[in-house]
Amino acid sequence: MDFENYYEITRVAGFIHAHNFSRVALQFPDELLKDSRKVVSALRHLLQNSDESHGTAKLYVMADTTYGSCCVDEVGAAHVKADCVIHYGHTCLSPTTTIPAFCVFGKAPLKASNCAESLYNYTVKGGKPILVLFGLEYAHAMPDIKEALNVEAVRFHDSNSGFQIHFANVTNSVITPSTSMKLENRHLMLNGDQDNNEDSSQKTDTKFRLGGLGWSLPEGHRMEDYLLFWIGLDNSAFTNFILTFNSCEIVRYDAIEGCLKTDVSQQAKILKRRYYLVEKAKDANMVGILVGTLGVAGYLDMIHQMTELVTRAGKKAYTFLMGKPNPAKLANFPECDVFIYVSCAQTALLDSKEFLAPIITPFEALIAFNRGSQWTGAYSMEFQDVVASQPAEVEDEAESRFSFFQGGYVEDFKLQEGKEDKDAVLSLVNVTEKALLLQNKDSELLSRRDAKSGAEFFAARSYQGLEIHSSDSFPEPFLIGRTGKASGYEDEQSK
Amino acid sequence: MVKFTAEELRKIMDLKHNIRNMSVIAHVDHGKSTLTDSLVAAAGIIAQEVAGDVRMTDTRADEAERGITIKSTGISLYYEMSDEALKNYKGERQGNVYLINLIDSPGHVDFSSEVTAALRITDGALVVVDCVEGVCVQTETVLRQALGERIRPVLTVNKMDRCFLELQVDGEEAYQTFQRVIENANVIMATYEDPLLGDVQVYPEKGTVAFSAGLHGWAFTLTNFAKMYASKFGVDESKMMERLWGENFFDPATRRWTTKNTGSPTCKRGFVQFCYEPIKQIINTCMNDQKDKLWPMLQKLGVTMKSEERELMGKALMKRVMQTWLPASNALLEMMIFHLPSPSKAQRYRVENLYEGPLDDPYANAIRNCDPEGPLMLYVSKMIPASDKGRFFAFGRVFSGKVSTGLKVRIMGPNYVPGERKDLYVKNVQRTVIWMGKKQETVEDVPCGNTVAMVGLDQFITKNATLTNEKEVDAHPIRAMKFSVSPVVRVAVQCKVASDLPKLVEGLKRLAKSDPMVVCTIEESGEHIIAGAGELHLEICLKDLQEDFMGGAEISKSDPVVSFRETVLEKSCRVVMSKSPNKHNRLYMEARPMEDGLAEAIDDGRIGTRDDPKNRAKILSEEFGWDKDLAKKIWCFGPETTGPNMVVDMCKGVQYLNEIKDSVVAGFQWASREGALAEENMRGICFEIRDVVLHADAIHRGGGQVIPTARRVIYASQLTAKPRLLEPVYLVEIQAPEQALGGIYSVLNQKRGHVFEELQRPGTPLYNIKAYLPVIESFGFSSSLRAATSGQAFPQSVFDHWDMIPSDPLESGTQAAQHVAVIRKRKGLKEQITPLSDYEDKL
Repeated sequence: MDFENYYEITRVAGFIHAHNFSRVALQFPDELLKDSRKVVSALRHLLQNSDESHGTAKLYVMADTTYGSCCVDEVGAAHVKADCVIHYGHTCLSPTTTIPAFCVFGKAPLKASNCAESLYNYTVKGGKPILVLFGLEYAHAMPDIKEALNVEAVRFHDSNSGFQIHFANVTNSVITPSTSMKLENRHLMLNGDQDNNEDSSQKTDTKFRLGGLGWSLPEGHRMEDYLLFWIGLDNSAFTNFILTFNSCEIVRYDAIEGCLKTDVSQQAKILKRRYYLVEKAKDANMVGILVGTLGVAGYLDMIHQMTELVTRAGKKAYTFLMGKPNPAKLANFPECDVFIYVSCAQTALLDSKEFLAPIITPFEALIAFNRGSQWTGAYSMEFQDVVASQPAEVEDEAESRFSFFQGGYVEDFKLQEGKEDKDAVLSLVNVTEKALLLQNKDSELLSRRDAKSGAEFFAARSYQGLEIHSSDSFPEPFLIGRTGKASGYEDEQSK
Repeated sequence: MVKFTAEELRKIMDLKHNIRNMSVIAHVDHGKSTLTDSLVAAAGIIAQEVAGDVRMTDTRADEAERGITIKSTGISLYYEMSDEALKNYKGERQGNVYLINLIDSPGHVDFSSEVTAALRITDGALVVVDCVEGVCVQTETVLRQALGERIRPVLTVNKMDRCFLELQVDGEEAYQTFQRVIENANVIMATYEDPLLGDVQVYPEKGTVAFSAGLHGWAFTLTNFAKMYASKFGVDESKMMERLWGENFFDPATRRWTTKNTGSPTCKRGFVQFCYEPIKQIINTCMNDQKDKLWPMLQKLGVTMKSEERELMGKALMKRVMQTWLPASNALLEMMIFHLPSPSKAQRYRVENLYEGPLDDPYANAIRNCDPEGPLMLYVSKMIPASDKGRFFAFGRVFSGKVSTGLKVRIMGPNYVPGERKDLYVKNVQRTVIWMGKKQETVEDVPCGNTVAMVGLDQFITKNATLTNEKEVDAHPIRAMKFSVSPVVRVAVQCKVASDLPKLVEGLKRLAKSDPMVVCTIEESGEHIIAGAGELHLEICLKDLQEDFMGGAEISKSDPVVSFRETVLEKSCRVVMSKSPNKHNRLYMEARPMEDGLAEAIDDGRIGTRDDPKNRAKILSEEFGWDKDLAKKIWCFGPETTGPNMVVDMCKGVQYLNEIKDSVVAGFQWASREGALAEENMRGICFEIRDVVLHADAIHRGGGQVIPTARRVIYASQLTAKPRLLEPVYLVEIQAPEQALGGIYSVLNQKRGHVFEELQRPGTPLYNIKAYLPVIESFGFSSSLRAATSGQAFPQSVFDHWDMIPSDPLESGTQAAQHVAVIRKRKGLKEQITPLSDYEDKL
């Protein structure tokens, strides 16, 4: 594909020019970084040509983003005091907090005729209205597909009235910053909450917006009535759709292989696995909140909301900021029984097999830690929905919680403590008594389940810090250490 | 027709010396429930005539339909003794009225957890043995359990009617059969000699053995006959009793007792002469309708029949006559009252078994003395579904104090640790109920020594708990029950309609409550799992789940699944090494199989985390040949910190080693829970840490670096030590006549089972076969066995051990590899086992 076309140099230049940005950060994901130099020079060339009077905009290349490369790296951009970010490659189109961003999706090759044929055949077979969704990298091919579809219909002498195909649209490739204040009236309910829509538009259509795509359904139609046709890769964006619309039938058109994938068993599996993680999270005593974004609008509110949620559930919350989480990083905090990953919708699902503790999304945390809320199958990953769906606290005092891991009732520690601590003197006595208890030195580790806070966990560890042997207080003799790389020190390579 | 009101009954409850709590235990189909019904009939809850035909204690439709008991049922009986009958009673008593709290338990091995729960709250056991089939595997199991709980047994040799009607054996032969049955039972009991419990063997001449025909509602002990003959011979009863059993012969011709058969044709054994023959005679006379002969005989025995009963013919007449002459209830209830301990007597020695705390604290003392004024100590042994859907009665035994309606109690769950608040609730008892088969009576309070059902606690007790008064914060709980079966068979359940999930969750919760053994969990893949003791158990559970606990919502279930274990065959072929993610730390490890019996010792809790390390070292060095110093270097057990795998530190002089111990342990717990082959638990693997290289800076050898590395090196050492799968194996006992043996063998062969014992029961045409059968092959075993033997063979399977599948799971195409593939597929794992190279690093 044409380089100029792929990176949409002209459009980008036009955008910068139109808004008169003077400092522009170009954010590249790792796989496109190799082209960054060419992009910059092409862009600079264009900007200089088009605009003689103003001082040319300064361009910065940003790479190796701290969090998912699909999000706009606002902190990185702030380092160079950029006015705007041009984001290249796969994006989640999550709203930003402070800086406007322009997204270049890239253009992945697609055989429009082939795709249209598959779509047409599927439509004829399916017998239900169809909604076409696609990966943003295929957005460019949509007009071609629509056209090809018409050709297809004509070829089979079929009147277009026999079936319905709805196409989703890319909402906007420009992200304007929105604060959490604006969020509430700007964003739509996923499940098509009519009340919210009516004041903004008189239309009776139900609007949906997810992962940068927007579409509307005629009044009275629900998502379940549609068959979903996904054009694109089996990536996180697709998973996002699968989970959110898990009651719909979804097929995927793989543009690389040029064929239809109808196997949807994976879909049920992912959802069940998430259900398991939620059940597991219910048993947690200590919860780590992982900050997985510093850009997506509303992330701070979300973190606060999560902290509050966890504390109210009688558990201990710790907040971690660690960039992209990996097993080694998280294993440094073995005291956490579960982590909540606050991040944009498309990086939120981390398959936790390699991790010591499960990682769940804020939505799942809501189900897990809100007593009385149940797993109904409805699923959501975007912050806005999670914030909005905060249900009224159901104080379910009547029954203690049943754990499927311990096969019985378990009660969360703090919930009970709160009640009993009214008797302050008694609780003081209890604490003192506990502290004065003779601990068996040889007793093994408390199991992870038992510790209620980081301090307790630490107290239960067999190693708690430096062991100073008072018998030999003389300084150790000076020794020469090893040299070389950790993968094989110099004295070892000889072996 | 209830003979007593709740108030009357409540009054007797205070007489702690006049209470007997007992359970009826036996092998399946030896007639427990039928016998129990004749007792219930005597206590007046159902009409006398239908006893033996209607099983009062089987309260569920499916129980009646299958003819087996599934749930244990408790009934309170009331019995009044005459002064005459009590004149030989030496123990303490308060008047002549007695309250017998009786629990009928299931005999099928799949439900033996119900037996365990029943035994906990009773002090005595009536062991029922079929006089023809004799002592069977389940008799042995329950008897062993009873003695472990310090339950005093009495025996009844049941189905006497078979001797007279079916087998028509003569007196001497019958005596030999009975003698053998009693002897077999005594052999088992003798192995559980317990100084506190005293001699637990049973002797007919002491009145601790009864002979009964549950179906016909009659029974006797030698006491009955001794009384009858004592005056005739002018000797005292106890002397007479001795003569009626054992090597005592009587020759009516010479009217002399001898200890040897004199050879004279009229010389017969005392038992035969005075007990067996008279009964046989009466039965034969009745069966032949020789009424003219019958009435004088009955008159001599002092039996009077009602006029309408005189019209009966044949079997019905025989039944009626025998019931009038030797009513089962009198013989059995008197035997229980005489020979089983009252709560106050039993708790004196049972307190050691029951109470977890120090044996000199006020709670232990209250239990020991069965003190109604002491602090409340109550053990809830099971939950019984109540008539309003979804609620349960908490059923248990008051060991001390009183439980009353409205009382605020401390509920200590199975995981409660004194001084902590885990698994602890303070709630009100809404109502106390005495539970009597189909009828419940609300009472104000229930004092110690009795069984009780409570309303309003079901939402805080899963299966069992200890209750005490609100303020008794120092009380320790009563020891948890130990089950003889384990839940090895599992099915995954799923609701057919996705939106029924909340119903399913609720249903599983209730199911877990309703059965002491069933375990409801969730798999990694998000499937709900129900685990039970066997196929029948699961079938019943699923039925209950769908019909009773989910309101009929449709569920689909997977085929039964068996969990495997992963182990190793040899020591690792080399020391393997893994590097931490930052390459700065290295762990060197080897895996080796544990010594024979060590895994079992850990399972049984003989060796464990909580032991004194010195003690542990002693057992390890003496029984398993470990080096004493090495035994002290065990870092941990796993999975779940108690499992049958361990990590041993074998390295010397490694700096900072202590620092990574916790991280290695965490990695080990994780890895031993999910082995490298198919993410099944590991079993019987000892991991030896050979060497450790750590980075000099603490920051680079933290948990993040070491935990994943420990996991990887454990997998690597497992894979290099010839990993193998272990499968669970049932011990199957089958009793069948000779002609069915061929069918049994062919079915067993087909199912990979092998017979290791085949014995003919002396005096019967029956064979007793013991075999090992892989659990995975056991599905449908019962039905194919029935088909192959035209219904003559009935198997009893109980989990026995883990057996190694000899083939190599790493070699494709082998049986073990197929199992691994199936498990991995089910769990949604990659088809291929992760290769060793992913876990092992090279320098």
